[in-house]
Amino acid sequence: MRSQSIGWLLLAPTLIILVIFGLVPFFYVLVVGFTEWNAFAANPGAHFYGVENYRHLVFDEQLLYSLWITLRFAFFAVLSEIILGYFLAQLMMKDFPLKGFFRTIHTLPLMVAPIAVGATWRLLTVPGLGPVPYYLDRWFGIDYRLGSFADQAFWTTVLMDVWHWTPLVTLTLLAALSSLPKEPFEQAQIDGANRFQIFRHVTLPMLKPAILATVFIRMMDALRTVDEVWMLTGGGPAAATRYIGLYIWRVVFPKTDYGYGSAMSLLALYLTIVMCWLLYVALVARRDLPKGD
Amino acid sequence: MHARLPLRAILATASMLVAVSGARADFWADAGAPYKGVTIHGVSESTPPSNYVKDVLAPAFTKATGINVEFEATSWDQMYDKAIKDMEAKTGIYDFVYIEQDIIYSYLSRDFLVDLTKELKADPKLASPDFKVDNFTTFINYFKDSSGDVYGVPMEAFLKVYLYRKDLFDDAKNKEAFKAKYGYDLAPATTHAQYRDIAEFFAQVGKDTDQELWGTTVQAHTGHPSSWYEFFESVAPTFGVYNWGINQDGWSASVDHGGTMNSPKAKAALEYWLGLLKFAPPESTTSTWDEVAATFAAGRAAQGLVYGENAAWIATNADKSNVVGKVGVALPPLEDGVLADAEAGKGYIGYYDGGAFGIPYSSKNQKAALLFLEYIGQASVQADWAVAGSRITHTATYDDPKVQEMDAKVDHYYTLMKDQGKLFAGAPPYPFHAQVREATAPFFYQAITGELTASDALDKMAAAAEAELTKLGYRK
Repeated sequence: MRSQSIGWLLLAPTLIILVIFGLVPFFYVLVVGFTEWNAFAANPGAHFYGVENYRHLVFDEQLLYSLWITLRFAFFAVLSEIILGYFLAQLMMKDFPLKGFFRTIHTLPLMVAPIAVGATWRLLTVPGLGPVPYYLDRWFGIDYRLGSFADQAFWTTVLMDVWHWTPLVTLTLLAALSSLPKEPFEQAQIDGANRFQIFRHVTLPMLKPAILATVFIRMMDALRTVDEVWMLTGGGPAAATRYIGLYIWRVVFPKTDYGYGSAMSLLALYLTIVMCWLLYVALVARRDLPKGD
Repeated sequence: MHARLPLRAILATASMLVAVSGARADFWADAGAPYKGVTIHGVSESTPPSNYVKDVLAPAFTKATGINVEFEATSWDQMYDKAIKDMEAKTGIYDFVYIEQDIIYSYLSRDFLVDLTKELKADPKLASPDFKVDNFTTFINYFKDSSGDVYGVPMEAFLKVYLYRKDLFDDAKNKEAFKAKYGYDLAPATTHAQYRDIAEFFAQVGKDTDQELWGTTVQAHTGHPSSWYEFFESVAPTFGVYNWGINQDGWSASVDHGGTMNSPKAKAALEYWLGLLKFAPPESTTSTWDEVAATFAAGRAAQGLVYGENAAWIATNADKSNVVGKVGVALPPLEDGVLADAEAGKGYIGYYDGGAFGIPYSSKNQKAALLFLEYIGQASVQADWAVAGSRITHTATYDDPKVQEMDAKVDHYYTLMKDQGKLFAGAPPYPFHAQVREATAPFFYQAITGELTASDALDKMAAAAEAELTKLGYRK
């Protein structure tokens, strides 16, 4: 009995922080989502609005478009980061000259604040002035204009995210690879497995928990990306990079539509949870389900 | 005997000045004494006038009063984010905030700001002898309520003017080639057709001579409201579309309901403006107001509509500008009838921009902040500030020798502001400013990228504006 009390006592600070910074804001947003509340409306207070905000979500074409491009962005960014991160982790498992230097340089983007990443990429890519458009035009004859061409802007944001976050994936997978036992690999070699078979049947299954954890973390981050993209493109050209986080920001802050913005935030949270759950079911739980007769 | 009279007069005048300046110095020390050591926090957009406050006036105020000033000069978006959040949540982080002329109506509608007139009447000890509302230009009227009480002390006021490259316009070869091609003399445009021709001409000159030169700046960012502002505040009025095309009787935007946002004039204006993009530098679709000034200063455009707060540094600061001594200033090009409208008080020809500092009700140091606002509103600090930031808020500043000297270097921008400022106007008195902008901007960006035609975009914008006004409860 006494040890239980001590346990709760030790947990208390964490629970209090969780309640204050996790649950209270969540329930606040939940309540605000059922109100019509715009700071500069004719009647600016919060008024009960029922489920109108949620009904409006379903018909908001701009929101649906933002959701679609956010999913596209998350898919391409996370997939690229996992693949690239895995190969870089494998590379760092080997010895090569200046490995320590390369590892340090490779990790540097992780230490840069997202807003600074956006600013840096903006300086690199601003048409007419940045080096990227200049050399793309000079060497390949490519007319690169971030503010004019939707595809270019979209892929630039993906590339920026990959540049920023691949080091995180590399470090995670490097830690996982370093901790793998040698025996299964030796056994597979003795059994005559080639490199692809070893990767497919030994490395990948053993790395799966680490890969899944990384995918979940990166996917949640990618789905809520705001600051880098806001700095680089402002969500443009038009709505080409107006990802869901950026759209929510525009509705809540410049537009001060707190009720609708809260409803959108909850939808984004719900979709993130659903996405992660679907991924979990697809990659893990399905195999653990009891097979039929 | 007679010869000694002037000497006596000089001595008397000098001693009076010393006495007055001594008394004034004492005022700031005495009035600031109860708040000595207090730190007031302010937030503003990072502009030449704001940076002058941060670097020069705030330290001088601290020296005079002992009140510290922590001044945050940040981006336009962040400035609004921070100020509105602070005032809405009543957190009291900021003791003074930048109030752009177009947001004052929103702030007043929410009672965010302290009535400065009342505060000064309530506590006469805080009223500086150097701070007089009558010293200000009529721009201060934007910061008054219906009873005439002041809620903000103007700190910047300027016009969005037509800047052009005098060296290029005066070049004999250019003049000859232009006349041969277009059949009339090369001169600053007074009509949109001329402006377009000049833009086309210099874009071609840039190509032919392999220079980084284009025909015009266009503030056409495809994800930032600055492009929306360029159109509604600086281009649409020159076609006779005023107040964003919103009819204030009934709050309608579409032609069907009495508005002009999607009127033929508005559509012609947008088509004209979009048509300039092909003569503009490639950075135009990522350019906000800052980049437009930078583009012109870099010598990459022959002409453009540029916020006047940048005129002085573009024309005179060789550390930042490649076009020092080459800048011409003129009124924007207009359609027929627009100038007559403006002169008759029925319209305006461009944007009279600016802002003030006000005190949020949530401020915890209102009296110290009030002293600071009076300090920056003194006549004695205006001239240097005007030279540094091309802004004028006091009528007398125009006649200051320092300003007149700068005026000659900036092709008489200050004189143009003094004489023709009445033809320009600030934003309409809408409390729903950002809300309508955000509701309509997505379609506007689509027009810039070519996803929508000018006509379709304005039709959608008018419908979106009316839907938003209905949702906000203004439009019944």
